[in-house]
Amino acid sequence: METQVSEDFGNEVFETLKYIIDPEVGINIVDLGLIYSVSLDGDVLEIELTLTTPGCPMSGTITTATEQILLKRFPNLDVKVNLVWSPPWSTEMITEEGMRQLEGK
Amino acid sequence: MSTATTSNSPGKWVVLPHYAFAALAFVALSILLLFSTDAFSGHYFHPKLLTLTHVAALGWATMLIFGALYQLLPVVLDCKLYSEKLATIAFGFLGIGTILLAWCFWNFELGHVMHIAACSLVISFILFNINVIQTARLAPKWTIESDFIVTSAIWLLVTGIVGLIMVLNFTMAFLPVEHTHYLKLHAHIGMAGWFLLLIIGVGSKLIPMFLLAHAESTKKLNWSYNLINAGLVFFIFDHLFFHTALLPVYAVLVVAGILSFMVFIYETSKTRQRHDMDLGMKQTFVALALLLLPIVLVFIVSSQVALPQQLLSAVYLVYGISVFLGFISAIILGQTFKTLPFIVWMHAYEDYVGRFKTPLPKDLYNHAIQRWQNYSYLFGYLLLVTGVLLNNQQIILAGAIGFTITSLLYTANVFQLLLHKVQELKPFSYGNASV
Repeated sequence: METQVSEDFGNEVFETLKYIIDPEVGINIVDLGLIYSVSLDGDVLEIELTLTTPGCPMSGTITTATEQILLKRFPNLDVKVNLVWSPPWSTEMITEEGMRQLEGK
Repeated sequence: MSTATTSNSPGKWVVLPHYAFAALAFVALSILLLFSTDAFSGHYFHPKLLTLTHVAALGWATMLIFGALYQLLPVVLDCKLYSEKLATIAFGFLGIGTILLAWCFWNFELGHVMHIAACSLVISFILFNINVIQTARLAPKWTIESDFIVTSAIWLLVTGIVGLIMVLNFTMAFLPVEHTHYLKLHAHIGMAGWFLLLIIGVGSKLIPMFLLAHAESTKKLNWSYNLINAGLVFFIFDHLFFHTALLPVYAVLVVAGILSFMVFIYETSKTRQRHDMDLGMKQTFVALALLLLPIVLVFIVSSQVALPQQLLSAVYLVYGISVFLGFISAIILGQTFKTLPFIVWMHAYEDYVGRFKTPLPKDLYNHAIQRWQNYSYLFGYLLLVTGVLLNNQQIILAGAIGFTITSLLYTANVFQLLLHKVQELKPFSYGNASV
């Protein structure tokens, strides 16, 4: 995950996005490694995220959910969410916390 | 970084009626099975057995596959479904054709109603083919999964056309050899061409996806595709024109194709990050294990093994049962609860995600019912196969009861999902502050 924002603000964004759970896997999208980057340009908060597989039916849902949750959390900012496929998501992108949840610990 | 597109999912009214119809067809199939225990002691060309086979193949398996595929095709091929309208019309023709055909076989009415039924089914398959092929053409890249899915759709149409010819032959008798000769052709094109290729094509994408695994290479899938199709094409030409004793060789090709797929799944599953398999995935692996029985039996039915006639008839029946009520039914029972909860959840909650705390797809149905459904299925299947092999009507009846319980449990869960209403949702609160 890349951030081009202050550490505190970046953490706040990631903590907010942890409320969005991938419905199939049951793990939040941050720990699943779906958030590629967070950047702030003036008052535009830009997020780049991916999905576990191209063609995933969740693409619209997760993109919209990301936008909505950030707009609620940061009502003074414009939120732009880009769904990207490059680099392709792989299981190495799952965080330690995500792996712990996957293993049911 | 390249920007991707948004969701390609079709509307729920395209997909969900297929699941409802299939579940009710499974109940109908089980109830018909309860009244057919006497039919398993003779030849497979029996009105009741023909009814059961067609309700299983069309009303249960094909209907559910159509519905699931309209949802999964955009996932597998990464593009929108070509036409939702064609899908809905195909559903209508498939439903009408299946009901009429079942009625005709049960009453052994071989006239105009059966002609209408067969025509309805072929129309449905043509519409399905147009939709699948045009969707595959919209896909950003042609993959081995596209090969499997498109080819399986074509084989379905061929199966339907052979079936229509046989139905016409009931009243006009123009085919040069006996009916059962073409029935073998019809059945094998349907089983290996339609069901097997389709399940492999979709499974090779979905199983790794559900396990959070990745495939190193698709070479084994290429082998699988080529071997199964080669075996099927050789079988068709031989069966129609040459009548050699090489049928077991063609069976070897198809079985080698299946094994190649199994090796692909085994190697892929070694990379999985998800180790806690849910009941749906466990049932899927049970289905793959159940494939072992038809793999063994295909060599007996394709070779000239000298067995007593009674036993040979039983083996033929068990072969058919092991495909339709074994492998295919088992995989549907498992995969329904990997796909349907997700589809229902998406239509019910996608607008609420990110604003409210929503349930997960796995929270929308009853897991205890699903567990008992899987137990009663295995119990029913094993008893049915044993009863047919031993030619014992009581054991067959016990198996049919097992299937009936399975179908009722399955349908209860499916309808719980289909009738799901969005609950009152609580908005998120971050820390102590509500936003």
